[in-house]
Amino acid sequence: MPDQAFDHGAAAQSGQAGGAHTAPPAAVRVQGLWKRFGEQIAVAGIDLELPAGKFIGLVGPNGAGKTTTLSMVTGLLRPDQGTVEIGGHDVWRDPVRVKSRIGVLPEGLRLFERLSGRELLAYSGRLRGLPGAEVDKRATQLLDVLDLAGSQHKLVVDYSTGMRKKIGLAAALLHNPQVLFLDEPFEGVDPVSAQTIRGVLERYTASGATVIFSSHVMELVESLCDWVAVMAAGRIRAQGTLAEVRGDAPTLQSAFLELVGAQGRDAGESLDWLGGGAGR
Amino acid sequence: MSADSVVAPAGSAGPADAVSSGLTPLFVRLKLALLKNGLRQSSGRTAAFIASFVLVVLFSAAQLLGLILLRGTEYAPVFTLLITLVLALGWTFMPLFFPSGDETLDPSRLVMLPLRPRPLVRALLVASLVGIGPLFTVCLVVGSVIAVAHGFAGAVTALLGAVLTVLTCVAVARTVATLNVRLLTSRRGRDLAVLSGLVIAVGIQVVNFGWQRLARSGDLSVLDPVTDVVQWIPPASAVGAVHSVSEGAYGRGVCQLLLAVVALVLLLWVWERGLVKLMTAPDGSTLQASSGPSRKESKAGPLSRLLPDGRTGATVQRVLRYIWRDPKTKGAWITSLAIGLIIPVFNALQGTGSVYLACIATGMLGMLTFNQFGTDTSAFWMVATSISTTRDAYEELRARLLALLAITVPYTLLVTCVTAAVVGDWRTLPEVLGLAFALLGALLAAGMVASMRYPYSVPSEGSKTVVPGQGSLAWMSLVAGVVVSMVLCAPLIALTVWLHVAGHATWILLPVGTVYGALAAWAGLKAAAPGTARRLPEILGAVSKG
Repeated sequence: MPDQAFDHGAAAQSGQAGGAHTAPPAAVRVQGLWKRFGEQIAVAGIDLELPAGKFIGLVGPNGAGKTTTLSMVTGLLRPDQGTVEIGGHDVWRDPVRVKSRIGVLPEGLRLFERLSGRELLAYSGRLRGLPGAEVDKRATQLLDVLDLAGSQHKLVVDYSTGMRKKIGLAAALLHNPQVLFLDEPFEGVDPVSAQTIRGVLERYTASGATVIFSSHVMELVESLCDWVAVMAAGRIRAQGTLAEVRGDAPTLQSAFLELVGAQGRDAGESLDWLGGGAGR
Repeated sequence: MSADSVVAPAGSAGPADAVSSGLTPLFVRLKLALLKNGLRQSSGRTAAFIASFVLVVLFSAAQLLGLILLRGTEYAPVFTLLITLVLALGWTFMPLFFPSGDETLDPSRLVMLPLRPRPLVRALLVASLVGIGPLFTVCLVVGSVIAVAHGFAGAVTALLGAVLTVLTCVAVARTVATLNVRLLTSRRGRDLAVLSGLVIAVGIQVVNFGWQRLARSGDLSVLDPVTDVVQWIPPASAVGAVHSVSEGAYGRGVCQLLLAVVALVLLLWVWERGLVKLMTAPDGSTLQASSGPSRKESKAGPLSRLLPDGRTGATVQRVLRYIWRDPKTKGAWITSLAIGLIIPVFNALQGTGSVYLACIATGMLGMLTFNQFGTDTSAFWMVATSISTTRDAYEELRARLLALLAITVPYTLLVTCVTAAVVGDWRTLPEVLGLAFALLGALLAAGMVASMRYPYSVPSEGSKTVVPGQGSLAWMSLVAGVVVSMVLCAPLIALTVWLHVAGHATWILLPVGTVYGALAAWAGLKAAAPGTARRLPEILGAVSKG
């Protein structure tokens, strides 16, 4: 049962309490991960060590390989090469221990949209072996907190983007995983829903669980995360605490632009005729 | 869009009445512009349009010629009446199934323009006469009235009747589209459009059997009672009037013609009211936002109390809900159920039937297992993240199979019993049931392995059942699966033949076939489960292309 295996979060908390000298145990360890799609290399041999109990951002421009990486880490896409361990267990060799410990909200994949929000949660919980009464109780609470109680009997196919992200998040949280993987959880989400999702995630990490989410919005990552991995063109450019990655740069945004080599790119000079109302 | 460019000058022309006077030519130009611009979008579309145009012109010409040749024969009145009725039915249901076929069908696009309802109705009606469909209709109707009109009075009535029929056809399509525009532009409308293929498939079967029956009897007098009714149904009554007047029954002819006029006026009135309501009431987005939950709370119903907790219950329930709620899945099921019933029962009704034909129902339903994960679409990731062991995969497959059996077994019983009752051959029932269950088990076994080995995506929109590029995979899976299940069934078929030849009791096939089928299905599950657990990412990749 996922709940019984919650030792890891507690270990993470003790790691934090022990001060900066004790390195927190890794929630996710990735070594030499590769993925090619035909000629194109999507992920080019990345190594990552993501600490447990942190709010971790995987940032990078579009096409950097974030979704491919997260799919391989969560067992939805088979890597060409490399190993992935979650909580010390190999994702591909020991799926029994891994799958019960993780929650996933993928990007670009559908949900069972012909179920209502509540039916989707009931289905998801029972697939994971939770008893029916417990699923009902947790679903009611999640629907309330995520502000979906009013639409719980509507089919998911009729939900808005924000509502879909929220019901997907609820399904990912239902079995109380130790590590939560969210691919672009704030993409296309209105500010009100974004704030709700944020609140739930902050409460969840405060309990010692780990959240790993991908995004290309730097301000969001800077305000939410305490640990960041920067990805570009299928490689990891930097990883560490927010302060480490930011370095001397004033914001994460400028540090990121420097890391991906986009800082010096001049967008203005070649468009010197562009001036709107200033003249012809 | 050229629609704007055509309509814009009208909108800026000033008072609404001034606009209304030139509205009809404006809408005809709009329709032509839409047709032209639609063709400009792609050369493929242009080619398809030209091809269908040529085909329709040739077909219409052939129909017209055929109807003219029919003139004077005793079959002319019956045929023309039926053709007119079928045409009118086609126009009634077409907008429901092909809502995107004509952009001008959606009057809510005109809401912002200063238009009065009556001139708008007139303009839209005339504009609807432009297109391939109306051309085809005009040819058929003209042919029909020529086939039955005789004498001067007949010719005058024919002219009136033809105009009335064409206008009624066009008006009924417009009225249906206007009254259902909210439905047609919503998700439910798109769901309905997906089911159109099914109506056509089942319709063709029914027409086919009806036609065979008619051809066998060789005597159109069986249709007399039908004709007596149809000649009073507008717009067929207008064609009926031509026949009546030509025969000298002026009173009946005038009544039939009047009936057609009243129907047209009534339709136009309903359409106008619908337009006014549509253009002055709040639109769909507002209604949707302010409405409450659309689906009633489905608290643990009797079904979910019956089902076991855990993966089995959850999956059975989801699969059954999908059969009911997902238009693609529903379409496939209803087609299989309907064809599985129509073929054995209709054949039995015609006296050419055999209880063995009931196995077709089982075969059709069994073949639905062949792409178990395809209908999940990319939502299969939710299943994939919950399967860690071969045992999980086995339970998942078993639950899907149970959901299928919950419908297939009772349906096989029903179809077999109905066929046996119609044929009057109860003695064959046990052996057919035994064979049907063995066939079902073999198909399920092959289907489970094929689902694991050759999964493919089912696009959720449109009428296609395979995404481009996976067609050969789908065919291979189905053909190989059917061959394998036939081979699996061979021992049972051999046993049946031997029992018949040797003159032994054939009821033994019922228990033997049932056990054989159950064993085959169980073996299929056992064979497919390890591969399913191992190939989760590959299956997800294959079913996520839709």
